[in-house]
Amino acid sequence: MRSPIRFERRLEQPKWLNWAIPVVSLIAALVLGAIVLLATGKNPLDVYGRIFERGFAGTRALSGSIKTATPLAFTGLCAAIAFRMGLINIGGEGQFYMGAVGATWAGLAFGGDLPTGAVVIVMALSGMVCGGLYAAIVGVLRAKFNTNEIITSLMMNYLAAIFLNYLIYNSTSYWRDPESRNFPAGKPISDRADWNFYEIGGIKIPLAFLIAILAAAAIWVLYKRTRFGFEVGVIADSPKAARYAGIRTTSTIVIVLALSGALAGLGGAADVGNFRGLLDSKGLQMSGYGYTGIVVAALARLNPISTLVVAVLIGGLTNAGFALQGPDFPSGLVGTLQGLILFTAVAGEVLVKYRIRRNRRIAAVAA
Amino acid sequence: MNSNIFVIIASSAIFYGTPLFFAALGGIFTERSGVLNLGVEGTMLLGGVTGAWASQHVPGSAWFTVLAAIIIGMAAGALTSTLLAFLCVTLRTNQTVAGLAITIFAGGVGLSSYFANVWKVAEAPVDRQVRRLDVLGWADVPVLGPILFNQTILTYLSWVMVVLASIYLFRTRFGLQLRAVGESPQTADAMGINVVKYRYLHTILGGALAGLGGVYYSLAIVPTWVDGMTKGAGWIAIALVIFGFWRPSITLIGAYLFGALQSLSSTLKARNVQISGDVLDALPFFMTIVVLVLVSTRFAHRRLGAPAALGVPYEREER
Amino acid sequence: MKSAVRMTGIVKRFPGVVANDGVDVDIRAGEVHALLGENGAGKSTLSNILTGLYRPDDGTVEIDGHPMQFSSPRDALEAGIGMVHQHFRLVSTFTVAENVVLGEPDSPFMMDAARVAQQVKELSDRYGLAVDPSARIWQLSVGEQQRVEIIKVLYRGAKVLILDEPTAVLTPIEADALFKTLRAMVAEGRTVIFISHKLDEVIKVSDRVTVLRGGKTVGTVETASTNTRELASLMVGRSVEFNRIVRSNPADVAHTVLTLDGVSARDDRGREALHDISLMVGRGEIVGVAGVAGNGQRELAEVISGMRPLSTGRIDVAGESVQSGRARSAIAKGIAHIPEDRLHTGLASSHSVEDNLALKNYRSSSLSKFRVLRRKAIRAQAADLVRSYDVKTPDTVTPVRLLSGGNVQKVLLAREFSSLPKVLIAASPTRGLDVGAIETVRARLVEAAERGVGILLISEDLDEIMSLADRIVVMYEGRLVDEVAAEAADRERLGLTMGGSTVSGGAR
Repeated sequence: MRSPIRFERRLEQPKWLNWAIPVVSLIAALVLGAIVLLATGKNPLDVYGRIFERGFAGTRALSGSIKTATPLAFTGLCAAIAFRMGLINIGGEGQFYMGAVGATWAGLAFGGDLPTGAVVIVMALSGMVCGGLYAAIVGVLRAKFNTNEIITSLMMNYLAAIFLNYLIYNSTSYWRDPESRNFPAGKPISDRADWNFYEIGGIKIPLAFLIAILAAAAIWVLYKRTRFGFEVGVIADSPKAARYAGIRTTSTIVIVLALSGALAGLGGAADVGNFRGLLDSKGLQMSGYGYTGIVVAALARLNPISTLVVAVLIGGLTNAGFALQGPDFPSGLVGTLQGLILFTAVAGEVLVKYRIRRNRRIAAVAA
Repeated sequence: MNSNIFVIIASSAIFYGTPLFFAALGGIFTERSGVLNLGVEGTMLLGGVTGAWASQHVPGSAWFTVLAAIIIGMAAGALTSTLLAFLCVTLRTNQTVAGLAITIFAGGVGLSSYFANVWKVAEAPVDRQVRRLDVLGWADVPVLGPILFNQTILTYLSWVMVVLASIYLFRTRFGLQLRAVGESPQTADAMGINVVKYRYLHTILGGALAGLGGVYYSLAIVPTWVDGMTKGAGWIAIALVIFGFWRPSITLIGAYLFGALQSLSSTLKARNVQISGDVLDALPFFMTIVVLVLVSTRFAHRRLGAPAALGVPYEREER
Repeated sequence: MKSAVRMTGIVKRFPGVVANDGVDVDIRAGEVHALLGENGAGKSTLSNILTGLYRPDDGTVEIDGHPMQFSSPRDALEAGIGMVHQHFRLVSTFTVAENVVLGEPDSPFMMDAARVAQQVKELSDRYGLAVDPSARIWQLSVGEQQRVEIIKVLYRGAKVLILDEPTAVLTPIEADALFKTLRAMVAEGRTVIFISHKLDEVIKVSDRVTVLRGGKTVGTVETASTNTRELASLMVGRSVEFNRIVRSNPADVAHTVLTLDGVSARDDRGREALHDISLMVGRGEIVGVAGVAGNGQRELAEVISGMRPLSTGRIDVAGESVQSGRARSAIAKGIAHIPEDRLHTGLASSHSVEDNLALKNYRSSSLSKFRVLRRKAIRAQAADLVRSYDVKTPDTVTPVRLLSGGNVQKVLLAREFSSLPKVLIAASPTRGLDVGAIETVRARLVEAAERGVGILLISEDLDEIMSLADRIVVMYEGRLVDEVAAEAADRERLGLTMGGSTVSGGAR
């Protein structure tokens, strides 16, 4: 009745695991995905080949992938920064919507008057504040009443989605285009509120992606170098030790969740300013950037810099999925692959903690 | 009298609450063993889509097809949660992330949608359904008729389950051992109880029940498959487990309360009551948060009987 | 005489340590056999192997002369071996009867509470193990919980009972009652394996003693033909004596450094854990707090160090009031704290040595500037402390959880003493350490007292308190029930008051 293998706790975690785990996880996920494809009568090599072609081969494909990667970078950072403290914020989705709502308001209100640079800043700030406040509610409930943040943050995703529908479909709100009587749609922001693109080596890089790079760097410094980061680390390691050392746990919880939400909100602002140009209720809900961000963060092992790299990878996958969607490439495939990546990423974490050893038989007892 | 608005709401509370109860009962079993399943939503959707497929494709008489659909949906749920058990119990991964992985993998834009596409489930209605019965011909009895005697067979099954599950958990030695595994796996292990076996079996059982909840959505509530059709029911079920203090009977009541909230929007709209549909749609989610806040203070948590080892992987030879 | 249990050449390795390295032990039927050894000598590992919880890497186990291989605790139970763990294996939300029946292999499908309660009652009457079968475990005292553990094992029909450090949680009086129970069981032909590191009680209760050191068997002796001195030198490999440490610099009681005035507080469940406690500690004074675990000691330490709010009363350090429930205020006022749970409260165990050494002063201007950490300064501080406190660690970035118990405690001591505190709360500061480390810790405490630090020494180890403290107070159910000067203290009286008996004269 004994299993052939056992897990042995690692005393030390070798550095090479940091990059080996994500790579192995990714490969394992592709293998598992191939099994699903084979089982449903598709040729995995063919499917993967086309994903690579549409996602990563050539400047056009890469431009598209980086575009999709941009919101994912923000939601990935949103998940990473909270998960690092052991706060499972899965409300990135709703916080992203709220950021989009806030930024659209700012874009509509100031787009006609202020110079472009100022509009961009006002939109970004407005998105961050909205996303941050929305997440702070979760933080306050967790800090004050010890309410499980997983479920509350998720419930607030549904509430945010209903709020979006209300703004665009079920009311004549400021965000809705009054011209669109029969097919309700968002009111477009003026051209001056559009965020820029930069061309580097033929690849179009959106301004928002550059902001994401800055944000990732800032988070890295915050967590590695500052007192605040030190405190977050201690709370994550042992809440009791934090209390013992006089670290204010409750306010830190609220601040970290607000920061996390602000990042998702910034993503929502980028989505409006750099890409859609209006509050697109249906489009936002179809994309599911918040949930994919969790996959990004997990595969990046919650490291902000790796989050950017993984966002481009998953962005390419998602981008190719959108482009290829059709009878040969059913919807749901990309989500399935993302789920598999998350599986293998969590399973990979086991290898960080344990070594797998073969069980030796005990020498037979001579009676 | 039977078109009285309260009768309609009570009747649909039970109708819409039944799948919530199935999923939450599954959650009770899983969590009582110490495993947290955050993959309920995805598991329900996989159960729903496989059940819908079976209803469209399994030949034979109508009742046989429906039975097959139920069993296939439950099997899909069981299989999904076997994966969760492998991750959480054998590999001892972080249970939260493992559960999220299940929901993303199987959820509304994942495998359930993929299957629906590949099998073309959404293109035809699900004709062979789990229909409301007319028990003893009493469906027209005033007030009680529509509420109690005009439900589907699965609702009646759920009533049997409440009783059986309560007896199992609190009156049998297996229930006692299960609760010990969830409270203190170290103790259970020292007493010779196989912690791994209990966790696997009850996680799988929980998945099967979530799958059953999913089948209810695709075969009883919505006649056609829609991606992501459970719309958060799996998450509400997780909250219901807490709301029900990990006890089947209280959870059933909670499920009916949330069933009523979920049905309110369509019921009131049909009767031209002037309330914003969005507010009504938001109610179940908002109430879930309110309920969670109410029961989640640290003091309440200990009193209410959350399994002490919930979410904690068990490792014997720890040093 | 016939062997009940014979273990030969037992080897058990864990990552990084060999816990048992060829242990031989032979236990006769119908005796109380003591396994004596320091912490880390391999006693617990050996008993976990005997109860099927661990599998040995090598060696044989024979029960009644038959070789056995246990792959689970159930196998061992079926072979008649039952264990009373040091950390009780009880489900705290279950009743006594439910805990007893749990895991009984052939119990009926439906539980029969009345039948079990009846049987529990029979067992408890027979062996003098008084306990209410329908009470829930969390309502019971630690001594009662231990009785449940013993009943559990007897209920399963164990012929061999293993007790792991059973007296650690008992008052001296409760311990004597336990010894009587053990004798009664042996008289009925059962065998008892008694694991301990306390020499006196081993002499008192056992027929024979096997001594373990460093995972190896040192030898087995008849209790009647040995004494504590010989056992002690066998146990540690050299002769040791713990005597009352004489201080060169006496306490300055006229200057109070810590004052508790009418302090009450609640525990995690919201029940009153401290009731109207008033206490003073003078400069350079060591005040020992004696008592059985769970009588409010943990809450007392937490209240003073600001980890737990007061419900009434006030705490002053050198005349300045400490904010209730504010650890930061307590630290700023000069309260150092060596908590009972070193690895999870006193330290962030996955963090490095240097981070842990900075855990309380990272906010100071020398270690951070404009809220940014000065890594170099943190590293330099760590290098300095590691050297002066002789912490054995590969480098300062090693996570503390990889250090040995003694070095973990040194990291804590280094941090707490280097802050130059006025007051030090030390909770069970030597528990789980080996003899060498115990001596170091005690010397450091005395040294601090000589420098004028007022020390509150909270410990269940009466010997430790009696050898270090100037004054001893006794805690029982959240109150201070007795106070004596150390020179005037006698064990019997302390034992009585620890168990809740009032002593005429001297009790407050």
